[in-house]
Amino acid sequence: MRLFYLLGYAAIAVFGYGVYVQIRKYRRGAALKLDGSFQARLGDMIGKVLSHRTIARRDPAAGAAHRLIFYGFALLFIGTSTITLQYDILDPLFGIRFWHGKFYLVFSLVLDVAGVALVGGLVYMMYRRRWLRLPKLDYARPDRAPGDPDFDRPQYRREDWAFLWILVVIGCTGYLLEAARLVWLQARPDVWDTRWWSPVGALIAEACRALGMTEHGGALLRHGLWWFHGLIALAFIALIPFTKVKHIFTSAASLMVRDPQAAQRLPRIPESQAQAGVAKITDFNWKQLLNLDACTKCGRCHEACPARAVGAPLSPRDVILSLRDFAKATLESGAIPEAAELDVHGKAPGQVAQETLWSCRTCMACVEICPVAVEHVPVIVQMRRKLVEDGAMDPLLTKTLQTIHKTGNSFGESKRKRAAWTKGLPFPIKDARKEPVDVLWFVGDYASFDPRNQKVTRTFAALLHEAGVDFGILFESESNAGNDVRRVGEEGLYEVLANANVAAMAGASFKTVVTTDPHSYNTIRNEYPDFGGRYEIQHYTSFVKQLFADGKLRVTSPLTYRATFHDPCHLGRFNKGYEAPRDVLKFLGCELVEMGRSRANSFCCGAGGGRIWIPDPIGSEKPAQNRIKEAAAIPDLDVYVVSCPKDLTMFEDALKTTGNEGKFVVKELIELIREAIPVHRPEEVPA
Amino acid sequence: MKILVAVKQVAALDEDFEFRGDGRDVDPDFFIRDLNEWDDFSLEEAVKIKEASSTPVDVVAVSVGPDDVDEVLRKCLAKGADRAVRVWDDAIEGSDPIAIARVLAAVAKHEAPDMVFAGVQSSDQSFASTGIATAAFLDWPHAAVVSELNYAPGAKTAVFRRELEGGLLHEVEIQCPAVLTIQLGINRPRYASLRSIKQAAAKPIEVLSLADLSLSAADVGEAGSASRVRRMYMPDKGRAQLIEGDAAAQAERLAAIIREFKGDSA
Repeated sequence: MRLFYLLGYAAIAVFGYGVYVQIRKYRRGAALKLDGSFQARLGDMIGKVLSHRTIARRDPAAGAAHRLIFYGFALLFIGTSTITLQYDILDPLFGIRFWHGKFYLVFSLVLDVAGVALVGGLVYMMYRRRWLRLPKLDYARPDRAPGDPDFDRPQYRREDWAFLWILVVIGCTGYLLEAARLVWLQARPDVWDTRWWSPVGALIAEACRALGMTEHGGALLRHGLWWFHGLIALAFIALIPFTKVKHIFTSAASLMVRDPQAAQRLPRIPESQAQAGVAKITDFNWKQLLNLDACTKCGRCHEACPARAVGAPLSPRDVILSLRDFAKATLESGAIPEAAELDVHGKAPGQVAQETLWSCRTCMACVEICPVAVEHVPVIVQMRRKLVEDGAMDPLLTKTLQTIHKTGNSFGESKRKRAAWTKGLPFPIKDARKEPVDVLWFVGDYASFDPRNQKVTRTFAALLHEAGVDFGILFESESNAGNDVRRVGEEGLYEVLANANVAAMAGASFKTVVTTDPHSYNTIRNEYPDFGGRYEIQHYTSFVKQLFADGKLRVTSPLTYRATFHDPCHLGRFNKGYEAPRDVLKFLGCELVEMGRSRANSFCCGAGGGRIWIPDPIGSEKPAQNRIKEAAAIPDLDVYVVSCPKDLTMFEDALKTTGNEGKFVVKELIELIREAIPVHRPEEVPA
Repeated sequence: MKILVAVKQVAALDEDFEFRGDGRDVDPDFFIRDLNEWDDFSLEEAVKIKEASSTPVDVVAVSVGPDDVDEVLRKCLAKGADRAVRVWDDAIEGSDPIAIARVLAAVAKHEAPDMVFAGVQSSDQSFASTGIATAAFLDWPHAAVVSELNYAPGAKTAVFRRELEGGLLHEVEIQCPAVLTIQLGINRPRYASLRSIKQAAAKPIEVLSLADLSLSAADVGEAGSASRVRRMYMPDKGRAQLIEGDAAAQAERLAAIIREFKGDSA
């Protein structure tokens, strides 16, 4: 008995040391001050853990199984702890004993059920891994080739199975112990008569007796098993900080430090920091290092990633796991290795390759679905900042950034031509710099310069005009909003653009900002406040919905199209603008058929994160093509509706390149509104 | 060791530009200014040599122009130049490439570099003579249109290749110091991030006057120039037209045009 206590203390000591090593690892990261109250964060985390809301999303079976494991494990842990509490603390010190009578019986029933839940959940998880062979649980990496040392990482699989088996064995030996005790003490009525309060144990005991086990046999079995069960349990505790078991703590902590705006509002580079972005593992902040350890390899980000889906060398899961392995190799030993060994950029195991970082569309699908609040997008963008600083990027992207710096737009057009689309409109557009307006329309680059989108822009201007909206634009004082420049990682240029736009808007008098561009919408709404620009801003979909609700726009010839709607990343996932465009489609009379991947699970067109300026590799499928194929599977589809200028460009192109031209059309929602409210004859347009 | 890189701020035309009052140039209000593309390559070549060298190398960017030229010099500093020198005096206004070369040669004497790089030409004026004229003033060996260079700072000679007509390459060994004009494509110029440009703003740009270089107003401007721009203008539009229709209609139309040209009245 004394030996067991000694081993117990040793296990706790190993556990404690492991916790110390982990915390020391996180503290080796950069500093970060969290905002928001501790209580609110704690409450949010507890809510998510208890409800398993985030784990059940898009995989209810895994959610249910994990819930069984979690509650089974938690109850058994609490049960065992209370036994220890009485046996080792309360009874010897104060003579308090509560483990008897009715309480004991109810408790043994609860723990028996908890054990069933635990083992049942674990067995289902084994079934998933062994028989369902879910692609998201395949550890083969799209950014490595077979034969690379970290290609499919069999050590991960071994750890997964060891984890499942150790818990199954602990659970099952617990039942056997219970049964052996019953067989051993079958002569004692206080034990035997209440045996059905632990039904599984009793059932096994009956079976053992039927097989001829004697009281003596039961005693022997119990003695041997007791040690076996105890030692495995102690080993499990000792191993927690060194294995995936630590997710119990790291995932909970990660949920607690979650930033709900992680992808929407990227961090600024502090004035005091000379270097831009992340070069070394220690440039990540402690929260990001914790994020790495929170990952449970569930593969949901891997499954949701549009880059991965089209075979690009990126899986958000593997970025995180690679960096985790890197942090483990470098930051868990006593002394931190030299700076040269901390470089996270490259192709060696643990490092992240340039091509991987440049494959990202910053569409936020990974961040959005992660059940444990891993924030991949800021990690990738901060690593890109370093690449931009080194000039390690596609030459075309370099050219575009230089162009944006020079002209304020990505089309390389003269600033003076920014409002050229207004020429030929039958009514003047107010210059918001010169006269006050109700609505400042932030037009954005694509809507201003791209010829196809200019048509939509003119239509929207006409609709606003006909609805009697008092609006104006900034003409050549408007610059590229910078959303994508920031996501490329060119933070200095972003600062220039954001400051220029904030200054231009400060020179105008308006009540609210409206834009047709979800990218501009996101950065103005979520990021300009950090630059002193705080505005009430709406995407046009919600603004138009209000115009319909107020009767300022009326459908005069309802549409009968069968339509599907593509949620733009920056409107939907980023800013939860799911309903307004759908409501407008209903107002117009369209029949809305949803694609399998919609709303939060919308599939990026591939243009985000600056990828619109980087050519996709020839021959490979583009995300927009993948998406159009999904829409093409909808029977009798008439219109694929978009509400983002970049989407219009990407999907009209994909419609042609996938050979679906003529089967259905890609249209801006604005164009459908125009169709449902036919144009007045020029003479009817109020001057 | 030192490499002097001559750079120029060039002007690109904005949409709908107008000419200056005297009709000899475009109104500067319609310019979008930037670092000359060729100079981007020659600066990159110098910085690459510096980075590959075991001995310390100073890369000095020099430009002739008023204070708004500091913008391109800051870009050079951001891309890895160690120092930036700008020469200006109002008398320099109106200089042709020969007068500018006289100033650059004076800077080279002042700085005593081991090598001088210039771009083959500037994208706005395309004289392609500044670099070579600088060599003439210095009386140094020179070569134009260098497309590949092998040079170790401090070496007595450098070996380079030049592209000739018909896909021929010219491999040349040259005595140092020398003046080389660098061709596009010799390397891949790095990107100067906005942050690095901002940080470069903290580095000083040395401003030299004519007096600092022992030059006088007569050496520069129109007085020191060998040529003078008389007029800048937009030529009349050509008269190309597309003839449509089938072969017979096209032939008929073509014949009519020829007759019209000959002055025949059909």
